[in-house]
Amino acid sequence: MKLIKSRSLIALSTTALALPGIAHADAPPVQNTLSYKISNYKEDDLSRREVVFGDLGRYDIDVHQFQLVAPFTRNTSLHIDANVEIMSGASPWFTTAGLDGQPLVNLSGASGIRDRRAEISIGGKYYLENGSVGGNIGYSEEDDYRAVYIGLSGERHFNSDMTTVAVGFSHSSDKLFPTDAELFNRVIEADKRTTSALVSVSQIINQVSTFQTALSITEQSGFLSDPYKLRDVRPQHKTQFSWTSSYRRFFIGADAAWHINYRLYHDDFGISSHTVDMAWHQNISRSWQLVPTLRYYSQSAADFFTNVDDSLNPLTHYQSSDYRLSAFGAISGGISLITDLGDWTATLTAERYIANEKYSVYQVSQPSTALVRYFRISLGVDYSF
Amino acid sequence: MRILRLFSWFVISLSMVAACTQVQPWERGYLAKKEMGWDADVLEGALNDHIYFSKEASSGGNNAAGGGCGCN
Amino acid sequence: MGSYCEIQLYDESRINAKQLTRRLVAEVIRLEQKYSRFRNDSFVAEINSSAGNKLGIKIDRETRSLFNHALSCFEQSDGLFDITAGALNRIWDFKQARVPTQEEIDELLPFVGYHKLSFTKSRLSLPAGMEIDFGGIVKEYAADTAAKLGRSLGITHGLVNLGGDFAVIGPQPDAQPWTIGIVNPKQADSLMAKIDLLDGGLASSGDYERCFMHQGKRYSHILNPKTGWPGSGLRAASVAANLCTVAGSMATIAMLREETDGVSWLRESSLSHVYMTSDEQIGGIGLHQ
Repeated sequence: MKLIKSRSLIALSTTALALPGIAHADAPPVQNTLSYKISNYKEDDLSRREVVFGDLGRYDIDVHQFQLVAPFTRNTSLHIDANVEIMSGASPWFTTAGLDGQPLVNLSGASGIRDRRAEISIGGKYYLENGSVGGNIGYSEEDDYRAVYIGLSGERHFNSDMTTVAVGFSHSSDKLFPTDAELFNRVIEADKRTTSALVSVSQIINQVSTFQTALSITEQSGFLSDPYKLRDVRPQHKTQFSWTSSYRRFFIGADAAWHINYRLYHDDFGISSHTVDMAWHQNISRSWQLVPTLRYYSQSAADFFTNVDDSLNPLTHYQSSDYRLSAFGAISGGISLITDLGDWTATLTAERYIANEKYSVYQVSQPSTALVRYFRISLGVDYSF
Repeated sequence: MRILRLFSWFVISLSMVAACTQVQPWERGYLAKKEMGWDADVLEGALNDHIYFSKEASSGGNNAAGGGCGCN
Repeated sequence: MGSYCEIQLYDESRINAKQLTRRLVAEVIRLEQKYSRFRNDSFVAEINSSAGNKLGIKIDRETRSLFNHALSCFEQSDGLFDITAGALNRIWDFKQARVPTQEEIDELLPFVGYHKLSFTKSRLSLPAGMEIDFGGIVKEYAADTAAKLGRSLGITHGLVNLGGDFAVIGPQPDAQPWTIGIVNPKQADSLMAKIDLLDGGLASSGDYERCFMHQGKRYSHILNPKTGWPGSGLRAASVAANLCTVAGSMATIAMLREETDGVSWLRESSLSHVYMTSDEQIGGIGLHQ
């Protein structure tokens, strides 16, 4: 950069750079964008070796996602999200020890589970000279679960828009009312509240790379146990911390963008985790893009995790055999093919996810059964008008 | 202790932010590309967050958590 | 905008490039419709028809920041670059080559002067008889806006030319700078210099088109708002800067100053520039050899 000597030039540049068409000021999107994505993922069947009775098949889930982002007034935009999820299959019910002492999982009733989740969220964003503020409200409903939530967010650019600080806050108030509660002596109705706060800082490093670091704290209270498990007793409070850092870099020669994210997580159930995920967005031509992704995840077990339910413990004794509270690792890889036809964009994605206690970086004292593997396929379409 | 370490990672990473050269607005063409966004595909990101959340114990990331569901 | 405009964008897909160009053109047209002095339905016409209204007129953020930049131009030029000089256009008719009388001019001078405008948070009060003309700013601003929009749509090589006001997006696809020819004010079919642009903008000011000769004297359309008479400055000035808007303001101010002041104004800026003096001498720095 040439040294600017003239004071007049600085004065003129300052007012010119503040003009809205030139300034990097946030602006509502220019067009309406309607997006739809359909996904199916199917968990691999368990083997009879692991299951005492019930179906071997696990969840098979279809997810439909809709989103509309529209400019509303000169300074505002409107966001509408709707999701429908249709699940069928079985989920682990209780675990017992087999004759050889190996844990066995018992899947819920022979009839299996069939559930539907519908969610809608409406939000708005107001764009300011140096940032934006936004809010949303949402509602989600299942046969046995209902959640109402609100979210608030704000961001501000500093330092000639080189730095962006964002904050977010959300609160969800949930109610669960398990099916067949009386028949199986389950809890009839229970509440759960989740409050979450987040702060993130994004920085432009140079012409081709950016960095972001974020901290989030989530506080949960109420009924945090699994109402369908015969013996699942967890604390009534849970505090979660996560630190995420992300890096994006564009490779001009390769015409590709590299994404890498790392997350460190701790909660007071005693679970810690590391997550690393990467994506390589390779432009093939102006209208085609191929995106391979790779993700590694590993968590430690909750303090009260047990791989064999112990019905002799008093009900005040914390215990859970939920595989999600065990120590394990998971590797997943996927690939997306994206075609951009101007107003239309289509994305086809396939992903394979395999969880296994052998992949864990944390010590596994009690391996869980029923760790998931699944295969997902998605097709998404965006239309701008 | 673990929590303190997590916080200090956040603070250390913040200090990295300070050591950057000025990139003029007209030099940000590559950064403006869609594939350079924090969330290049919003629905894909939301779907992944949701699925991983239902299979793993961890949550929290770049976005404040959305609504609860009976999946975890 | 009443002058030759072109947009060149480089994209691997012809369809895409066409679509992107359409969006940039739409943005330029939006600004033209909003700020043209020559349209009855423009916002500027609305502002001008509010002259004398005690309540003033509500102005939006974009217009407000254009006024802020105009104030900056007014201050940096010691009152020579004045967007309220529009009232003088009523007596200076460059098509009919008529020289007004001093009495006519004296009658209009009270209606000129940026400092006579008064602003509240979102309103402007334009005193009766006064007129606003964003002519010296908006074309350049539109070029920058189109280039900015292009960049945000992912374009890395492109050029926007709105009647001689240029804003470029990065270098040419072969990494070469854009070489912009500056027309000789004396001879429209020849160039007086070339300036290389890698990024940013270039703008020119001069009595290329709108001037006339009367009794052996050259009357330029660039009027001194303090006297109401054409200045006796440079014949033409072109400046390259980080933004076309900045380049345009620098070039216009250079033209409004007395010739020697204009030349030193350009020199001190350390920007690439070229000028022609009234005795047809060409000078400048940072020129393409």
